[in-house]
Amino acid sequence: MRLLINLLVAIAIALIVGLGSAWLVLDRERIFGAVTRGAWTAWPELGSPNADPYSRAELARSGALPLGDGEGIAFIADTDDSGAALTARCSYLISGQTPAARLWTLTVTDKNGSLFETPAHRSGFHAREILRREDGSFVIALAGDPQSGNWLPVTGSGPLRLTLRLYDTPLTSSGIGEATLPAIARRSCR
Amino acid sequence: MKHLLLFGLGGLLLGGVIHIAAILLVPDFATRDAWTSLGRLGPDGAFHLLPANAPGTKPLTDLDPAMAHAACRFTLEEGPIRIRATMPEEFWSLAVFDRRGSNVYSLNDRTAERSDIDLVIATPLQMAKLRENPLAALDRAIVIELPLERGFVLIRAFVANPTLAPATEAALGAADCQASLTAPGNGSGTTGP
Repeated sequence: MRLLINLLVAIAIALIVGLGSAWLVLDRERIFGAVTRGAWTAWPELGSPNADPYSRAELARSGALPLGDGEGIAFIADTDDSGAALTARCSYLISGQTPAARLWTLTVTDKNGSLFETPAHRSGFHAREILRREDGSFVIALAGDPQSGNWLPVTGSGPLRLTLRLYDTPLTSSGIGEATLPAIARRSCR
Repeated sequence: MKHLLLFGLGGLLLGGVIHIAAILLVPDFATRDAWTSLGRLGPDGAFHLLPANAPGTKPLTDLDPAMAHAACRFTLEEGPIRIRATMPEEFWSLAVFDRRGSNVYSLNDRTAERSDIDLVIATPLQMAKLRENPLAALDRAIVIELPLERGFVLIRAFVANPTLAPATEAALGAADCQASLTAPGNGSGTTGP
């Protein structure tokens, strides 16, 4: 009888610890293989056959279709440069240059990747349409109220996610290295 | 009490084993993975447009709203497959994924050095046969060797502004996932046997 109780306790601990820890790890953000530059994070190995088992499990659960090496690379920012979470309650300036790429797109979504319904019908900018300064750099105003220049509108007051996708970029073959990504600075909050 | 501690320790060790097994098995039992989601779009062996990522909809995956996407699930069990599409003169990229959603091959319009897609996917065995009896029609095709039984192809095509979306989507919709291996390639001027 003692043995049976001990065995049951052991099995219960094994199941709770094993499945619980697996679930906890997969329910968090991708933790392995992240490369961070400023506020931006990329997962270059995500979706490659050499990815670690955790990334593979996470990929299968999310159903994501990550960019391949021959396509490009995606960077995600959930915070501004100071590390504070991006929120639709605040306005931000996204400024600077993107790393070398034949094409880039910048998209703003909520944390689930859903686009915002905005009167301006804009959910991002791409390299061909953005207004640039003389030196080729750009400034995007991420805000709820209309702004002059490159205005990226958002609605509501929830958390935001910025996704910068670089297509056909040398970063996928040479590594991210010292790549400089646009700065994200908070201006004001309501 | 000492016994209970010992069994507790054993439980912890077994928990570690269960943790590893669970992580490794997740891809086989996932129901929201890319392969399964794409299967809901329509039958295998043909390209299906992925629903555009629009405000108010729950996106299928983390797709770029500035791109149009089409995907085709394929099997190599009945022989090599050939993918052909006439693409607009804009950035496009193509990725081949295995059954588990890992990216095993990718290229873009510049690496392909052409604006139309003519890609043959073969297993190593089928590749050896193709080398023995080369098909003239595949002269200009990109032939890649992948050790897959099943997988899917995803084409991403850049839509520079919304007015171009219908043309891009039409091109993607007309993409052929089961093109004949012996049909002549564009511009090669040769005919198949």
